[in-house]
Amino acid sequence: MPSALPRWKAYAYSLPTLLLPGLSHWFLGRRRRAVAFFCIVGATFWVGLLLHGALFPFHAPNWLYRLGALAEVGLGAPYALGRIIGLGRLDMRDAADLMFGYGNTFLVSAGLMNMLLMMDAFDIAVGRKE
Amino acid sequence: MLNDHFLSLAAFSLLVALFFATLNHRDRRGFWKSVGKTMAWMVVGSLLFAYFMLWTAR
Repeated sequence: MPSALPRWKAYAYSLPTLLLPGLSHWFLGRRRRAVAFFCIVGATFWVGLLLHGALFPFHAPNWLYRLGALAEVGLGAPYALGRIIGLGRLDMRDAADLMFGYGNTFLVSAGLMNMLLMMDAFDIAVGRKE
Repeated sequence: MLNDHFLSLAAFSLLVALFFATLNHRDRRGFWKSVGKTMAWMVVGSLLFAYFMLWTAR
């Protein structure tokens, strides 16, 4: 892998993370880190769903949930797939659930972590980071 | 098991600590030091803040 790639290629390298967390790092030759990121972000996502967290839609009833959707969309394919098959459906009755807030925290964090992974992959690709 | 506030907090802190340590550290010693530090700040800080809220709510 060359140490510094042109910008358009670096952008292209940062995108696979939207399909699967850590995939960009895998293509950049950071295989061990890619597996670690996949496990960490994957675990954060699944624990969030287990705790009845919601994958917020962009047409959610309040602005805080819409902001949550903006963070969760950083997960990419898992978010889209979850929304399509009905995982983490937003049900206002769940808002009274003791663990609803925790679940959302895990899911929002998973989305934000994935966005950071994209930026990290970009930095590696342009040679700013090892 | 995760229907417990403290365990959820600990699990969340551990995942976040592991993520940032993997992102920023290459050496094993620095990695575990970072995990311990981040976890300690998150768990202890959250507990202190929770007790502060409890104290001010009385």
